[in-house]
Parts: sequence; C-alpha cells; structure tokens
Amino acid sequence: MSKPTELTLYVAGQTPKSQAAIRNLERICAENAAQNFVIKVVDLKENPRLAREHNIVAIPTLVRQLPVPIQKIIGDLSDTEKVLVHLQLGSAA
Amino acid sequence: MTTADPLQDLPFDELRRRLAEAEETLRAIREGDADALVVRAADEDAVFALAGGDESYRALMEAMDIGAVALDGAQQVLYANAALCHLLGCTTAALQRDGLFAQLDPASAQIARETIVRAGDDRHQTQFVQHHRGASRHLVLTAAPLPLAFGTGCALTFTDVTARIEAAAARESERISRAVLTSANEAVVVCDRHGRVTSANAAAAALARTEPAGLAFEDAFPFGFPIGGAILHPGELLAIAADGNEIKGLEASADYLSPPRDLLVSVAPLRLSGEAIGGSVITLVDMSERKDIEKRQTLLMHELDHRVKNTLAMVISICSRTAAGCQDIDDFRGRFVRRIQALAATHNLLTERAWTGVDLAAVVKAELAPYVASTGPSVDIRAMACLVPPNIGIAFGLVLHELATNAVKYGALSRESGTVTVTGAPAGPRRFAVEWRERGGPAVSPPTRHGFGQTLITRSLKGGDGTGAEIAFDPEGVTCRIVIPTE
Repeated sequence: MSKPTELTLYVAGQTPKSQAAIRNLERICAENAAQNFVIKVVDLKENPRLAREHNIVAIPTLVRQLPVPIQKIIGDLSDTEKVLVHLQLGSAA
Repeated sequence: MTTADPLQDLPFDELRRRLAEAEETLRAIREGDADALVVRAADEDAVFALAGGDESYRALMEAMDIGAVALDGAQQVLYANAALCHLLGCTTAALQRDGLFAQLDPASAQIARETIVRAGDDRHQTQFVQHHRGASRHLVLTAAPLPLAFGTGCALTFTDVTARIEAAAARESERISRAVLTSANEAVVVCDRHGRVTSANAAAAALARTEPAGLAFEDAFPFGFPIGGAILHPGELLAIAADGNEIKGLEASADYLSPPRDLLVSVAPLRLSGEAIGGSVITLVDMSERKDIEKRQTLLMHELDHRVKNTLAMVISICSRTAAGCQDIDDFRGRFVRRIQALAATHNLLTERAWTGVDLAAVVKAELAPYVASTGPSVDIRAMACLVPPNIGIAFGLVLHELATNAVKYGALSRESGTVTVTGAPAGPRRFAVEWRERGGPAVSPPTRHGFGQTLITRSLKGGDGTGAEIAFDPEGVTCRIVIPTE
C-alpha cells in the first residue's frame, strides 16, 4: 500500500467557504479512493492558536503535510483539477 | 538597542517560499477565495469572518421574489436585487449609478422618501398607486432600519399587489353582480360561450323546464317562437349574442310550463374585460299577466258595448211605448224620465257589485225610496235577500217602478194609511217568488185600458218555466205575484 497522504484542512466554523471546502475535499477523496489519504479537519474558530503550526492566515486552507514538502492551497477546493495539480495529489501516488 | 530580524538567518530559498506564500494569501483574500482570516496577537489569536454577513443578506435578498434594496445612511444604493430591477425596469448598474429615486416617478419618489423618514425607528409601510408606463399598479412599500458597520441605512421592499387588489375588486364586483342578479325582478340568465347556463336568478329559475345551472340554454328554456319570426330556436339567440349583437323584446312562449307563459326575450353579449365576449345575458319578462289583462280588457269592452246597446234598445223601447200612451209632451216627459230614473237606480246597484249581480232587496228599497216618508204610507220588505243576474235585476227594477207608480196614483201609496208589503220566498230551483201586496188604499177596480205599465209588469220577467208576473186587482188592494229566474 502507498504511503499515506496527510492532509489538514483548516476551516472557520460554518462560513460558506469552510463548509464548501469540507464537502469538496470529501468528494475529491472519494473520486481518488485508490490513494491513501489521512485527513484532519481543524476548526480555527474553536482554537485559533492551531493556525500557528502551519502559519495559516486565510481560511479555508488545505495543507499537505506528507509527503514533504508541505503544500498549501487556499479556497473552497471547488476547482478539483487545481487541487490535484497544486497539491500534487495525483503524482504523489 | 537593536532588535534582531527573525528573517535574517533564514536561507534564501525559505525566504522566497515564504514570500510566495504571502503573495498567494493576499491573492486569495483579494479574489475572495477566503472568507475568514486568522489575526495573530500577542495575547490571543482570533478568527474574523470576511464579508460573510454581507453575502448572506445579499443571498437572502436575491431569493426574495419581491423587489428589495438596501440604502446606506445617505440613501445611496448598497445593493438591489434582480426583482427590484425587474419591477422598476432598470439595471443594477443604473440603480447604483443614479440612485433609487431617479428610477421612480416624482410622486413615487416622494412617497419613498417619506416612508424612509417614518421608518427611522421602526418598520413602516405605505400602499400607493404608481403610474408606470401608461398603466397603474398598486405597490406596497415597506421600509425598515438597516444597521450597518458605520451608521444605519434602510431596507426597502417593493411589492406589486396589483393582481391581488384587482382579484379582490373582481371578487367584489362578482359579489355585487350576483346580488343585483338575485334581487332583479326580471328573470336574468347568464350563459358561457358554450351556451351553458352559468347562473340564473330565482325569477329565471321559475321559468326553466328544470334546474337550469349547468344545462344548455335550449334544454333549460325550450321556448317556442312565432313562425316566420327572426328566431326559430333558442340556440339562435345565443349565436346572435356570440356575434356581438343584441335583440330586444322578442315574443316567445313557454308552453312547457303549467300554465303556459307568454314571454318577452332579450339577449345581449356578455362582455368581459378587454371587450372579449364571454357568453350571453338573456332577460325574460313574463307577459302572461299583461296578456291576461289585455284579454280581460277586450272582454270588458265587448261586454260594455253589449250592455250599452241593450240599454239603448231598452231606452228606445221605453221611449216609444211611453209616448204611445201619453196625452201630451209634458205627460211623456214625466213618465219617461221616471222610468229612466228607475233604470238608472238599478244600474247604480249593479255598478256597486261590478255588474256581477244585484240583490232584489236593494232593488226594492231603491225603487220605493222616492215614495216612502216617515209620516206617509208604510212599506214593509220581507225576506227579499236574493242575488240575481244584471238583466233580471234591471227588469225587476222596471216592474217595481211600474207597480210603485200605480200604487202612488191609484193604490195604497196614495193614502197615508196605505201599506205595501213586498215578500220574497224561494220558488223551486233557480226561481224566486215575490209578492207585492197593497192594502189600506182606495177600493180597487180593474183598469179599463191595458197600458204599457201593465204590459211591462206582466211580460218583463216572463221567461217560461213558470216565471213572469200575475197581477190581481182585488177591491181591497192590488196583489202582484212575480216569479223570477235567479240564473
């Protein structure tokens, strides 16, 4: 089995783009089920200090922790192609 | 003292990576990819939403199907939804460039300004009529204070209630029409464009073959029309209305009713809004009563003509027979006038009963009235109540007049001590017997001459079957027995 791709999605409560980002990430993962994803969703509304780990400013932001190097993408992840290319999810397999 | 720059020791590649990340963050914020920000502080980090409230109310406004606009404190347009642009017939750009009031006619703009002022503290609503592109429409304008980040604006909604008001007016109009229809004395039937009865008031329902609602007009009202007339069939009436024409006062008969009715039928197209013909309105006037009255009037005219001719014939007869037995013109005038007066007295009694008949007792009283005084001879009338037809009453009146005239001249009524007793009694089927008995007068001897008076007495009521009069000249007084046909 391939090494897991660790993703952390930073959201802020129920803002429209945070909700959209969660939905879109679930969809992307489902469409790429062959890839081994480990996903964590962090609600910065609950604990803003957790933003410091990845130096998050804009929300929502998706961080690919593994494989290194760390990659970030800001937005609601509605552009699937952009997400796959930007985080090199397709080639990480 | 100098502070060490934390970036000073970072490798160049890391610096470039961080710069790229910072630029990406700025781009994302600028282009709206992010809707929240983390702001780092010395004591506590915080998350702030970016324009979230604004977007939600804009989304809400767009979802509304009524026109909505948000104004700032200076009454500049912050946002207007598509429904308002459609209502005002302008674009969002024009609204934001020229302002709300520039898109309204002066009167509507003034109403909007006043409504905004009144909504300074609380919601305020105004309903008004706007003249828009050559037509009128009813608008409800609602204004409410709108809290903004820097001051207070105003939220306005425009609701076009024209359709609702027109529907209410149409319902009210329909209600009034139905009330008028119901209370109309004339029979009114309304048919749709297919010729089916949609409504008929009570007067119309009474002229229908059966409950008319929902039936074809010709089935509910199968009228007959005069042969050779403009209309031969009820359905043709509706065809005339469907072509936009009218017909007034057409004679028709409803022979299916008992008793049959004579009607006057009128038809006109039922014009809806826009002059479209939606059916027909038929009014029916029941002429039966008027026809009956006309028939009765004609009958009465014939009856009157008949009676006048009879009376004139009788007057001519009385005149000539009176003249035959008179000595001179003065004698004639006296006798003739008294006989005509006797005739007139019975006529008066007949008039009181509308010529349906006359009571014999009343005839006796009327004929003897001129000869009865409190100190003179007495008249005793017994059991004379009997109703007889007009012609019998007239003849009996003349006979009574002749008997009274004889009694005044030669008999019981010529003396104060004289008495006349008139007694009635039934004399079999459809006959009534009257006895005229004089007493207390001078001694009677039979007349030497048979005059008109005696002829009239003995012949006037002679009709066979034992009817007629017999007169006896007994010395103690005249007795006349009369048998009268009562039918």
